[in-house]
Amino acid sequence: MALGLKNVQSKENGNRRSFLKWLLGFGIFSTIASVLIPVIGYLIPPERGSTAGGGRVLVGTTLDIPFGMGKVVQLGNKPVIVINTPQGITAFSAICTHLGCIVDWDAERQLILCPCHDGLFNPQTGAVIAGPPPAPLPPVPVSLEDEEIYLGEA
Amino acid sequence: MNDQVIDRPTSLAQRVIDWMDERYELRSLLDAMLHVYVPREAKTFYLGGITLFLFFMQASSGILLTLYYQPTPDTAYNSVLFITSDVSFGWLIRSVHAWGANLMIVACVLHLLRVFFQGAYKRPREITWVLGVFLLFITLGFGFTGYLLPWDQRAFWATTVGTESAGAVPVIGDFLLNFIRGGATVSDVTLTRFFGIHTLVLPVSLAAVLLVHIVLIHQHGLANPKKPAGQVKPDEEPGIPFFPHYILDEAIAWYIVLAVLVILASLFPAGLEAKANPLETPAHIKPEWYFLSLYQFLKLVPRTVGVLTPVAAAPLLILLPFLDRNPEVAPAKRPRMIAAGVLLLLAITILTVWGHFS
Repeated sequence: MALGLKNVQSKENGNRRSFLKWLLGFGIFSTIASVLIPVIGYLIPPERGSTAGGGRVLVGTTLDIPFGMGKVVQLGNKPVIVINTPQGITAFSAICTHLGCIVDWDAERQLILCPCHDGLFNPQTGAVIAGPPPAPLPPVPVSLEDEEIYLGEA
Repeated sequence: MNDQVIDRPTSLAQRVIDWMDERYELRSLLDAMLHVYVPREAKTFYLGGITLFLFFMQASSGILLTLYYQPTPDTAYNSVLFITSDVSFGWLIRSVHAWGANLMIVACVLHLLRVFFQGAYKRPREITWVLGVFLLFITLGFGFTGYLLPWDQRAFWATTVGTESAGAVPVIGDFLLNFIRGGATVSDVTLTRFFGIHTLVLPVSLAAVLLVHIVLIHQHGLANPKKPAGQVKPDEEPGIPFFPHYILDEAIAWYIVLAVLVILASLFPAGLEAKANPLETPAHIKPEWYFLSLYQFLKLVPRTVGVLTPVAAAPLLILLPFLDRNPEVAPAKRPRMIAAGVLLLLAITILTVWGHFS
């Protein structure tokens, strides 16, 4: 009889103890979570617009980029290569698809050249002609009004 | 029967502790740190621990702020604006840092007052007090240097006026002013200087002094506010176990402070005025509330007196345990010291309120 009562008590104590342990664990967990959530949110950098407010951006005139020439300009925080070709003005992302170097205009060969590993791109299509780049340069919408060159969608 | 004992499974945590203990004897170190007793009469109001907690909050929110903050006159203001309006929870981190600074100074001063009125600075705790006063000065230094960093009109001009008073110190005034500002006026050099002091010099200093402060507290245990240290017999009262009893109370206090901090930061987030303009002083430039008494005092007395009084008072505060040789700790048995303390407190309070409404 006495033994039975003791067993019941120790079982109750065990339940209480495990409940308190669970409560303590829950408290610690929720504290850590409620601190970590804002901290992680803070650590993730917010998006910044790539073009200034969207729309079209005037990047120069055909006087800056005469026929047969190309130039790297800034569109928001992204570099863009603008080329004045016989088929008209073209523009591509200037970030080489190989390892992220900035491509430049090779006036002698009339090609887009990446100086890092000699990747060559077609100035009309952005396609890879030679070298290690795995993909063509993505095109950027470009338009010409009189002599002014605009980048971005209208 | 014996097999059962040997085969009893031990938890992973237990085994990790055993592994560490076998190599580094961590248990004895932990025992020495945690298993001490707090006198039953001791009433700390958990203020020292709260100050410590707020320091942790300031250190962590401050480190987070440096990830986006840019300490140059051209970009500082916009980077603070960016933190406040663009970064997720940026307003919260910044407001917690601003409110935490205020609360830390409140906690620090209340802690000092508690120790003063309980006579807890007396033998053998003199050095603990001295280091504690240094910690208060470092904390005020944090407030002063951090105030400039948002680089808005209020920050710029409060710093201009605040540093100007250093120029009133006789003989070395000009040198001091130049030294603090890094030039004749508050400029880009001042900003990087204050940023370096705020994020490197002061944190390292505070951490070093704090470590010794805490080790010394541990060496003595908490003071008995009823009897001078010499009269407390070692085995007279068993006291309350520091762990887990006192620690648990302290943890509850920290939770309450955290709640207050987040509520204040949410209801009254840190603002930003117009960008600093060195050519246009806004009306009614005032320092933060904890410098208001000094500000008001400077308005009332000649400049040299106003600047030299705190310079002379600081050593008195630092050396208090060596100047006050009365061994008694009960307030009733040291009426003159208590009266002096109350008067000074009253004067500072009146000057602060006066400064606020002037």
